[in-house]
Amino acid sequence: MTLTTARSTWTDTAGNLDPHKVRAAFPILATRPGGRPLHYLDSAATAQRSQRVVDAVSEFLLNHNANPHRGAYTLGQEATDAYEAARARTAAFLSVPAEELVMLGSATEALNLVARSWGRANIGRGDVVLVTEAEHHANLIPWQQIVREVDADLEFIPVNDVTGEILWDRLDGLLKLKPKIVAVPHVSNVLGSIAPLAEIAAQVHAAGALLSVDGCQAVANMPVNIPATGADFYAFSAHKMGALFSGGGLWARAELLAEMAPIETGGDMIREVRLRDALFAEGTQRFEAGTPDASGTVAMAAACDLIDEFGREAIHRHEVRMLDRVLRELPAALPDVRILGTQNAAERAGLVAFSSATVHAHDLAEILDRRGVAIRAGHHCAMPLHEQLELSATARVSVAPYTTDDDLDALFAGLRDAWKIFAR
Amino acid sequence: MDDLYREQILEHYQAPHNFGTLGAPTVSRDGRNPNCGDQITMQLEIDAAGKITDVAFSGRGCAISMASTSLLTDELRGKSLDEVRALGTPYVMELLGITVGPARIHCALLGLETTQKAIDETPAR
Repeated sequence: MTLTTARSTWTDTAGNLDPHKVRAAFPILATRPGGRPLHYLDSAATAQRSQRVVDAVSEFLLNHNANPHRGAYTLGQEATDAYEAARARTAAFLSVPAEELVMLGSATEALNLVARSWGRANIGRGDVVLVTEAEHHANLIPWQQIVREVDADLEFIPVNDVTGEILWDRLDGLLKLKPKIVAVPHVSNVLGSIAPLAEIAAQVHAAGALLSVDGCQAVANMPVNIPATGADFYAFSAHKMGALFSGGGLWARAELLAEMAPIETGGDMIREVRLRDALFAEGTQRFEAGTPDASGTVAMAAACDLIDEFGREAIHRHEVRMLDRVLRELPAALPDVRILGTQNAAERAGLVAFSSATVHAHDLAEILDRRGVAIRAGHHCAMPLHEQLELSATARVSVAPYTTDDDLDALFAGLRDAWKIFAR
Repeated sequence: MDDLYREQILEHYQAPHNFGTLGAPTVSRDGRNPNCGDQITMQLEIDAAGKITDVAFSGRGCAISMASTSLLTDELRGKSLDEVRALGTPYVMELLGITVGPARIHCALLGLETTQKAIDETPAR
């Protein structure tokens, strides 16, 4: 059990999350890369790690480390208990049963498992898989591969050509194609918009399809109750929650998991092995071949604890306030800015992407770096969306519980520097 | 005065030289930086003696990739394919007049690398 701190540790007198207090939990924010203060606005790529998470990993590795699910000795049992307790903590964080949460190496691995296990068994020649044009490569390419392999069709929920917003009102018409599965992002990693999953799930299920959700950009930035989303598969990433680079998870209902074949085989996922065949373990274990990532899962549980201490409602409220400021003040700092996604910050989680015809995203990132402002420039692993919008790259600002108004002041100052250089 | 975004680089970025397409290119080659989305098409006209007689490029990218490609195209006419094959990073840095750091080196080299790939694909005659 992790030592918990009173909520007031992280809030101001009005009960709002105080990012200056939060920053104390993340030692890297006090460092000065290149001799400049760090204004880290790239948490959507990877969140910063707290002392709490690092301490939890140290505590496990230095005092309880052994190979889980194997040792008949006391230490081995401690490692097994720590691993399974961490799985249970993460499951509780997402409001799902621990027996339905598969711990994997990454969200990419989770989305590949859906496509290569459920997809390969359930999608045949001429069947339709429906995804959005805004999809992250990890929720697109696994489906491209399966569709090619079985001669099925990939169809797309389109985006608005100017703002990039996903046109959910087209879903109903596309469901007439009778897709077997619909794959969508909970929060788009370029648009930042929160998908209306409950409504989408109702439509998808009424059409007899399953709904697979990429939750990478949602879990750390807003309350996520997986059963309430209506998803049939839900994938998420550990490092975007402030845990380790390795680690991710896939939730699916027990009966769905029971009918899925493992795509990785080996130790720890078996019940009985003979020389010429093997019986696989039941439940989540059949998808977790090899030695489980116990330290990564322990880190994930510690990250869940800290996020819950901050409070997910409070985190989202704080981030919406930060994003609202970005949306309002961007046009003054960068006069020809084109903002992707909704202008309503409350419909976003964590991020805003934008472009300028005058200053390319890379040049913006380079000039911002001179003030210690770290943003992402590029296509953010969503090349088709950028092609659709006729953009070669966008700049993306993402916020976190530790983002302050000082960080945004530095951002706007840097954007004004860039404008001064290029608008001539 | 900005070291990286010097007058010359901004001029080439905002009004790149040899920007467009050729009527009858000997070879045309796309180049991309997959991580940033910079994308150019390089076209060369090559004579029977293996010398570049004309060049044009089009595409989208950051100031460093566009300016370095523009500066390079100004130098290509009259060069033999072997001369272009021998060009490397120092040559591009000299054209730019700056040393680009590791984070932007792939931007600076996009034009040269695409030109060299185009030459490799030029049919022998």
